[in-house]
Parts: sequence; structure tokens; C-alpha cells
Amino acid sequence: MYYFVSENIFTFNSGTEHSQARRTKLFNKMGRKAVYVSRNYNRYLERDRQSVDLPADQSLNMYDYFQGTVNVPRQEQNLRLLPELPLDEYHIHAHGPNYSTLDQAGKKLAKITVQPATVGLVNEIVTNDQYGNQTTRENWDWRGFLSSVDYFHPDGSLGVRRYLDLKGNTVIEQVWMNVNGKLQPTLWKLLDYHDQMFRFNTEDQLYLFFLNELIHDDDDAKIISDRRTLDYVVADVQGAKQKWPAFHGLHTERTHNVASAPLLPVYQDVLTKFPDAFDGVLVATPQQQQDLQSRYPQVNVLVAPDTVIDDIHPHQPQTAQVVLYVGRLSAEKRPEEALKVFAEVKRQLPDAKMIMAGYASGPDYLEQLKHQANNLGIDGSVDFAGYQTQQQLHELYAHASVILQTSEAESFGMNLVEAMGYGVPVVTYDIQYGTPYLVLDDQNGYVVPDGLDQAMATKVIKLLTDDTDWQSKSQAAQAKAVGYTPDKTFAKWKQLGF
Amino acid sequence: MIFFINSTLQANKSGIEHAEIKRLRLFNHHNTDVRMIFRDWNPSLHIATAAAGIEDRQVLNMFDYFQDTLAMPQQALHVDDISFGVPHVRYEDDAAQNRYLVTAQNGQLVARVNYRGADRQVWSTELFDGYNNLYRVDNYDARGFKTLVQYYTPDNKVGTEAWLDRQGQVVLETFHKYDMQQEWQQAGWRLRDRRDGKTYQFDTIEHLTLHFLDDVNAEFWSNERPNVFILDRAHIADWGFLHLKKPAYTAFHLHNSQAGNAQEPLHSILNNNYEFSMNAIDGYDCVISATQRQTNDVEARFHPHTKLFTIPVGIVPDSLLNAPRIPVKDRQFGKMVVFARVAWEKHLDDLCRAIAIVKKAVPEVSLDIYGYADSSDNYRARRAVEAVIKENQLEDTVTLKGYTTNIDEIENQAMMYGLTSRMEGFNLAIMEAISHGLISFSYDVNYGPNEIVQDGVNGNVVPYEDYQEMARDIIKVLKNPQLAQKYSTGAYDSSERYSEANVWQDWTNLLADAKRVWPAKLAAAGLEA
Repeated sequence: MYYFVSENIFTFNSGTEHSQARRTKLFNKMGRKAVYVSRNYNRYLERDRQSVDLPADQSLNMYDYFQGTVNVPRQEQNLRLLPELPLDEYHIHAHGPNYSTLDQAGKKLAKITVQPATVGLVNEIVTNDQYGNQTTRENWDWRGFLSSVDYFHPDGSLGVRRYLDLKGNTVIEQVWMNVNGKLQPTLWKLLDYHDQMFRFNTEDQLYLFFLNELIHDDDDAKIISDRRTLDYVVADVQGAKQKWPAFHGLHTERTHNVASAPLLPVYQDVLTKFPDAFDGVLVATPQQQQDLQSRYPQVNVLVAPDTVIDDIHPHQPQTAQVVLYVGRLSAEKRPEEALKVFAEVKRQLPDAKMIMAGYASGPDYLEQLKHQANNLGIDGSVDFAGYQTQQQLHELYAHASVILQTSEAESFGMNLVEAMGYGVPVVTYDIQYGTPYLVLDDQNGYVVPDGLDQAMATKVIKLLTDDTDWQSKSQAAQAKAVGYTPDKTFAKWKQLGF
Repeated sequence: MIFFINSTLQANKSGIEHAEIKRLRLFNHHNTDVRMIFRDWNPSLHIATAAAGIEDRQVLNMFDYFQDTLAMPQQALHVDDISFGVPHVRYEDDAAQNRYLVTAQNGQLVARVNYRGADRQVWSTELFDGYNNLYRVDNYDARGFKTLVQYYTPDNKVGTEAWLDRQGQVVLETFHKYDMQQEWQQAGWRLRDRRDGKTYQFDTIEHLTLHFLDDVNAEFWSNERPNVFILDRAHIADWGFLHLKKPAYTAFHLHNSQAGNAQEPLHSILNNNYEFSMNAIDGYDCVISATQRQTNDVEARFHPHTKLFTIPVGIVPDSLLNAPRIPVKDRQFGKMVVFARVAWEKHLDDLCRAIAIVKKAVPEVSLDIYGYADSSDNYRARRAVEAVIKENQLEDTVTLKGYTTNIDEIENQAMMYGLTSRMEGFNLAIMEAISHGLISFSYDVNYGPNEIVQDGVNGNVVPYEDYQEMARDIIKVLKNPQLAQKYSTGAYDSSERYSEANVWQDWTNLLADAKRVWPAKLAAAGLEA
């Protein structure tokens, strides 16, 4: 069985999680049993798993495993129907859609928050004492059961978390105490795991224990480590048949002169500290493979598909001129370049629209981008759409005229592959590593020198105004994307011996 | 069901606990079922109750009730029964501190395991994380199960406390927090009530206690007769009794003077313990005093609508009433005894002063004082007694004997009993004295001594603090064998007032009242049978 090991499935996922989820689905579809293994405690995992279209039986979370809540179906739990509330003693007083309070004769006893984007489903019950201090917090899972209970230190910081099974037994206890005067989690205790107690100083020690338990009876366990922060854990797992870190980014601190650039610290574990713990390294492009191979000749570097798309899709008839950006709004992806490009496009094509799809690295950065759009006079034509689910993205791709890539660097570019699957041509800067691998200039889009926004705008305008050119680029894009359909993708995995 | 309500039971029992245990035996003897409610958390409670001869089925501790641990088998629990989650720990016996130090292979302290007794039964474990922080203390019941988990704060205070049920699930929590003035407070409670599965929050243990009494009242509910709650420690439920959800018959039991100065019962500031209940007196169904005199004073001061019952807290067993009487001539002439703590309120230095006077007329007189010396104020009471002894050269006359349980033997040999207390709630000791035929001399002190001792019948009652008068009365008796025998016979006879039959009759009257008023209480609550 394959174990793709990661931290979490987040509410807003990066390419790493998407890549991992798609690989998981692909392997299962092709008859290789695989599971997306996550470490973090995430009460919304069920929702987040669904938002990346990962089937329930292909996801396994550590806390769920120990809590015995792996296969619990969702049952909506309305806060007004909580059996534990004595409603002949207390009132539930609604304060808008996001929370209610539990009141006794007008005195607040607890605050009950609502699961995000639901109507009245219980999220947390935070009790308070007569002085207003938080005393307990009950944390409810998206699936409608009580998952953990928190206690607090005198200053209100989290002190103890008891993770529960469905019967209400505490199965893991987590404690926050001081280390050198700084509060941090200092203990995870498995209280009764197969009649034994186990104490851990860090969450990753618990994760290692969990992974060892997971593969204990599997003599054909193959692990892919998808997060560099977890390579040292995977390195220590006992009894796996194979271990492969899969890289989802550039391994160096700078994006030019990569061959001589300093290694990013998180890559040291695999490349310099204990490369022998792994069978090799998986990267997305031959260029990264070459760079690594020349620098670390002892490391076995393979090129493996970093994404897979379900199929090639027809592009919808173009009714508007839509320029698309898909990716996190963060500095290294240079969304401000995309805005500059679009400003030029709009000067010549006033009806053009731009959609910026992706979550911002922070609220300040988003404000900065909106301010920039305002200054450029394009704020009425730019839609900051935020994080999009897979389904929403497919809608966008089906209607987009062109997709921009303005990043400083990309190890791959699954956004481009997805867009090409819908016949959307790409206009990109000439950057490492994914661009030259995915886009050929004047074939399935255009590649312009890094940082030349005017040049990029010119290519965008050409595609938006020259339908013949657009048609040929669109067809070439789809032809390129065919290489990432399931059969073709899995054939590459098989070639690698998976 | 009938409930006696107290805070807890320790090996060292005060008069209230003695009175409760005697009452329990009386009720049991008359096949009238009783539960003894102990409100406070006490992991050794079942040791104390067992030692007092109380069966587990009659012990109803509030925490046990919520924890579903009322009836638990006694189990041994030793250090090697405890898991720490750390492999290959080593145990170092720190016998001087009654504990084991448990260390990991790297020498780091994992836990301190505190034990008690010769078999080293574990009663708590102090647990450390991997960074040397004490983060949690587990407390074990003497019956051998984990009962309370105390989570510590980074500055080493008990933060949250969590009580466990028999499956180990948290059912009750209390929280220690800072208030707005940054004072550290016990700030609240949270209960998952096993009766209805609901979660309740309480600001104080008084509110929690009220909820507990409501639960108990519901669990033992009968339309035929009320639950009778007899409150023996005022602070446990003097407020709660007024706020019960459903009706019950609430009896407030005075165990001491209601007045701060027992000699000024009508005017002095109230005894702080009873200030609330006496102000709220009509909120109870009845008030019980141990003496008629106290009942009269309560009536005179408060004019309550609530019923007042007089029921002695002492019972002279039939075996004693029927025992052969020992004539005065077979007793040690001039031997006076007293069983009392050597404490300020017992005022035993006055008794020594009386004996000093008697000795001048009757040199054979002697006094044996049996009881612990109270350590308050650097043994002030004992020092006062010793000063009088020294001043009057009573070293061969007065002896501080210490505590004894050998009452029968001592009182069957002695002749007299003396009491010079400042105040009393009843005084079981002087009742025992008359039941052994001792001639008693007492100050006219409220409440108990001036009723148990009947002037001219079984001894003499002299004005409060008039030890000279007491000395004159003692001399009269010592110089008149006929009078002495008359008083001794009177003592035997007068103890009949405290016979089991008489005391039970008093309780029967109270229980009959409870039954009589029940239909009206049910009707008032809209709960007619």
C-alpha cells in the first residue's frame, strides 16, 4: 500500500496538497491502494477532504485514527438540539448567524459558535466563569460529534486539550507548559492505546509512532513524503519497503543561478543529513532533476508527475475577454505583475476582465493589491475571487481566454496544466522549472522574458484579438494537457516502478 | 428516605459526628433507612466511615454520587500498577517522604508517587512532562481508583480540577481563576449529570450542592412520604434548603448555641454559624434543638412559624440503663472526673479552683481530666489549668490524663463529674456521667449541662462562673453519704430521659410531622398524589 504523508488537508490548500490528493486518487483509480495521511488535528477535515474531492477511504488522519473517528459519517448537530443543554434552566440567545450564548436568568454561561457557512451547526461551546474567564471549550467536529475539550491557563492561553473518542473517553491528552519561559505544547499522551500508555514530547514523535503502527502489518508499505518538515519523521519510520520525498518547490534560496544558490534549510534533511534513509527523491521536471543530480550525485532523483487531470474538456464559446490568474496571492508569485499586465491590456481592450483566483498570504497583502488595482484604474474590471474549490476553478477555466503565470519560480505549474486541459493558452514569464517544461513559445501560449510586463501584455492582447492564433494555441494547449490525463500519468508512474 | 447532612467524616470526630453516628444506629435499630450525606470531597471517606461502623450503602457522598462511585470494591493499588507512558522507568524509594521517585532512563523525573500505610497504597501521583514541568496530579480514592485529576498552571498552582467516573470519564470540573481584582478564586464548576446527561454550570459549591440535593430528592422521590433532610452542618445547605426544586421536609439541626454568647441567648450577636439560618428560620420545616431550654430560647427570640423539636443528641443505651448500679460506697471517695478537651471554652481552670477550695475541707478529693489539650494560643487552656494547680499545690490532686476511650471503667470507679464550660451544645460526656451514676456539678451554662444536671436531683447546678458555690455543694455531698447516694441514684434514674425508647419517640414525632404535612406540601407544589 502507498502512504502519502503530509501535515493536513487545509481549508485553503497549496499545490502540495492538491498534488498529493490527486496522486492518491489516481493510484486508487489504477488499482494501487493509496492513502493520504495527515498529521494535524483538523475538525473540518471532512469538509476540506470533500473540497479537494478526496474519497473518505483515501484519507487517514492521525487524530481520527487514535480517536476512533475515521469512518464516522456526518450528522448535522444543530446547537439548539444539543442533548447536553438543560433548556428548562438555560436560554439559548442568538446573536446573529455566527454565535449564540447560553444564558441563565440573563447571565452568560457560555458562548456557542456556529460551524463556518452553516446555519446553526455547533462548532465550539466556550463556557465562562462568573468573572468572564474562559473555563472550558468543547470543540465539535464538522461531522457533528464532540471531538475535544480544552482547559485554559490563568492568562487565558490554552493549557490542556483532551481528545475524545465517540463515547467521551479521553484518548489523547495534550499539555501546554513553559519551556524556557515560553508556553508551548510539551506533552502528548496516548492514554490507552491497546491497553498501554505512551508519552511523547512532540507531535511529530506521536506522528512517527502512528506511522509505524500504520504500516506495522504491511510488508509492502511505500511512503511518499510530501512535506519537507516531515522528512525527518518519515526517515525514522521502521519497516517501510520504500520511502520517497516528493518535491513540490524549488530547493534553493534564490531562483536564478540555481546551481550555486544556497540550499533551503528544509531540504537539508533529505539531501544532506540522511539521504540514505530514502530510496531517492521525486521531482516534477527534468531540469530540477539535473540540477539536483549534478549537485548531489549520490542522491537518486526521479522525475514523477506532479499532477493529474481527470480529462480534456471543451472550452466554452468565448463571450468575453477574460484574463485569469490562479495561485496564492503572495509575493513570490508576483500577482502585482499580473495586475500591471492587465492594466496595459485594458488600456487597449476596455471590455477585458481579470479574475484573480487564490487566497492572499495576508489581509494586508490583499489590501495592497486592491490598492494597486485602484491606482491602475482597473479596479472595476478585476475580480479578487479568493480561494476557489475544484468545481469553481473548472468553471473559470472553461470560460477564460488566457491564463497568466508571473511567479518568480515554479517547480511545476498544475494551474497551467489544468487550464490547458480546457484549452486555455498560457502566457508566462520565462522562469524555473515548470515553464519551459510545460509551455513552448508560440505553440501552446507565449513565453516572454522574465519581468517584461509590456511584452506579456502584447501577447495577451494578441490572443484576445486574433482568434486564429487563439484557436491554434488552444488546441496545442489541450494536446499538451493530454499528457496529464490519468492513463498517461499513471504510465509514467509505472515506468518509475510504482 | 431520611438523610443526615454533614461535610465529611475524619478519624477525629467532633460532637456533631458522634451525634450523627449515634442517631444512625438508633434509626438502623428501628429499621428506618437512612443515608448519611457527606458533601465534601474526601478520598479517605470510606476508611473513616468503615472505621465508624457505617456501611457503604448508607454513605452518600456528593462527589461519589456524581462520579457513580458510591459502591466500589476495595482494591490494592501499588506503584507498579501505574503507567506513565515512559519506557523502562526506575523506581527509587524515598521512604522518608512516603513516596517513590520515578525516573526515565535518562534520569529525568517522570513522577512522584505518594503512598500511605504499610502496604504502600498509592494515593497520589505528581506527573512531570518531558521538560521538567509538574503538569498534573492524579488523586486516588482509598478504595483504589483514580478519582481526581488536578491540572497545574505554568506557575505551579492547581488550575482545573476534574473528577472522573468509574469509567475514567470526566464528570465534574472546578476552575481556579483570577477575578477582576487579580485575586485567585475558585471561580466555577461544571457538571455532566449522569441522571439526565445534561451539562450544568455553577458559580459556587453551594449551587452545586443544591443541584445535588435536587438530584437526590428526585432519585428517592415518593408521593407517600417526603424525603427528610436533616442538616447537621449549617453551611452545607442552610441556603440550599430554601431553594429546592421540589418539596422535601427540611430539618435544621442546632448543634451549638444559636447565640454568640450562650449566657445572653436573647440579645447577644448570633453565633456566626447560625446567623443565616436563624434569620431564614421560617424557610425550614422544623428546627431541632437538643434541649428544651434551647428550644425555648429560639422560640422567645425568633417567634418562628416553623416547628421546633427538642430531641436529645445523646442516647443512653439499654445495656447501660439495665447494668447493675454501683453504690457510692463502692466508688473511690472524692474522685471527680471530667471528659473534655482542655480548651478555652471548657474553662477547666475554674473546675480546678473549685477543687482547690474543696481540698481544704476534704483533703481526699481528687480530679482526673481526660481529654486532648487544645493547642490554640500555645496551649493557653492547659497553661491556665497548670497555673491553678501550681498556685494551689494541687499536683497530687489534679491529674491531666490525656484522651481515653475507657469510659465505663473510669466512670464506674469515680464518684463525681464536674463541668465549668463557657458554652455547650449538649455535652454528651455529662449525659454519660449521669448514666454511670456519677454525681454532677455544673455551671448553669447553656445548652445541655443545666438540663442534664437537675439541681437537687442528680447533683447541683450553680450560677455561671461561681466556682465557690460549686465547691460548697461538692463539700456538702462529700460530707453527707446519704445525700451522695441520693444524688447518685438520682443520676441513674434521670438518665432514663435519654433512653433509646425516649429519644426514638422524639424522632418518631418529627417523622410523623413530616408525613402529616406532606399532602399539603405536595398540593402547594402542584404535585398531589
